[in-house]
Amino acid sequence: MKSTPLLTLLGGVTLGAVVLALSVHATGGNDEPPVPAAAPAATAGASAAPSPSPSPTEAPVNATWAGRLTAGTLAISVQNGVAVAYLCDGAAIEAWFQGTAAGGRLDLAGRAGETLSGTFGEGQASGQIKIDNQALPFTVTTVTAPSGLYRATATVRGAQVDGGWIVLADGTQVGLVTVDGVARPAPPLDTATGRVTVDGDVLTPTRPRELS
Amino acid sequence: MTIPHETRTNHTIDEGAGRAVGTSQLTLLGVPFLIGATVAVTLGVYGSLHEPTGVAVNVGGFSSPQTVKVWLATGVAVLAVTQLLSALSMWGKLGSSAPSWAAPVHRWSGRLAFLLAVPVAIHCLYALGFATYDLRVVTHGLLGCFFFGAFTVKMLALPKPGLRGWVLPVLGGTVFTALIALWLTSSFWYFTTIGVTL
Repeated sequence: MKSTPLLTLLGGVTLGAVVLALSVHATGGNDEPPVPAAAPAATAGASAAPSPSPSPTEAPVNATWAGRLTAGTLAISVQNGVAVAYLCDGAAIEAWFQGTAAGGRLDLAGRAGETLSGTFGEGQASGQIKIDNQALPFTVTTVTAPSGLYRATATVRGAQVDGGWIVLADGTQVGLVTVDGVARPAPPLDTATGRVTVDGDVLTPTRPRELS
Repeated sequence: MTIPHETRTNHTIDEGAGRAVGTSQLTLLGVPFLIGATVAVTLGVYGSLHEPTGVAVNVGGFSSPQTVKVWLATGVAVLAVTQLLSALSMWGKLGSSAPSWAAPVHRWSGRLAFLLAVPVAIHCLYALGFATYDLRVVTHGLLGCFFFGAFTVKMLALPKPGLRGWVLPVLGGTVFTALIALWLTSSFWYFTTIGVTL
């Protein structure tokens, strides 16, 4: 009877070790080299612990993640560590973000002070978008071409056209086209040809990154 | 009229009686507190030094790792309330005498709660790390480290003979409060912000 609380603790530690080992295995073991729990304990006493040094020489990131959120649809596209993200509800709300993706972290900002921050790993990116003092958490998963993020900016007969499209893995599209400052749902993009017809004019939106 | 000593858990009765009279509570609890503090600090340091991966092992049947965590943590919160009620019952606060099942319910709900909480913590630490992007997140991270430290103290103190009557209720109450605050800063926030999804 006396030792059962200790057994409970040891059981928890064992379970934690198993879950951690499975996680390291599942993510390809991109963890810091030393045994995770033990190594930081050694430095716990020294208040001036060395900075993490997240292997800065790792290969530049190339990926696109996309998915639905409660507030709309989000796509994040990264080429060589430079990130572009687009949040859009397909009706009236949209926001573009630009920033970086490096060392497992996303750090993007929009024109009106919106921010997108988070982390990414194999297969997904997650984090938080802040717009108008509202925090929107997100988790989006990897998509491959022709799914992803498309953008078109053009001047058509004197009118400034600015469009964004997110094509999800299931083929559904969410997008907005703004013509001279007036936003409306975007006409469907033909992902086979990469073309879209806006007010009778054919545009070819570009992808922030051409994914394999 | 209730006689608290008769309704306490077995260990306090069996091993506590008289043996450590005169030992100060500080001496008794010193080692548990040191170990608990080490646990809390270790978790925090690991969380902030480790590079978050964004992903960890998932449990089947849920739409995302976040919802797994939210529901596991909600299970823990429900069990924590069970803990509170069974503890109150054991200590004779809910009626004249404690039912015989109060102590086993308390022990097993506690074990189960702890075992459910561990994967949540590992996911938080491994996939997300110690983040500081807003107050809720900082609070949640600090509470998480504190909770596991406080739980360790409680578990290490539990079998000790000679503890004063207030020690276990205070430790248990601290662990309970930390856990509920953890739940409010994560699962409750998730349910009210994102919605209730599986």
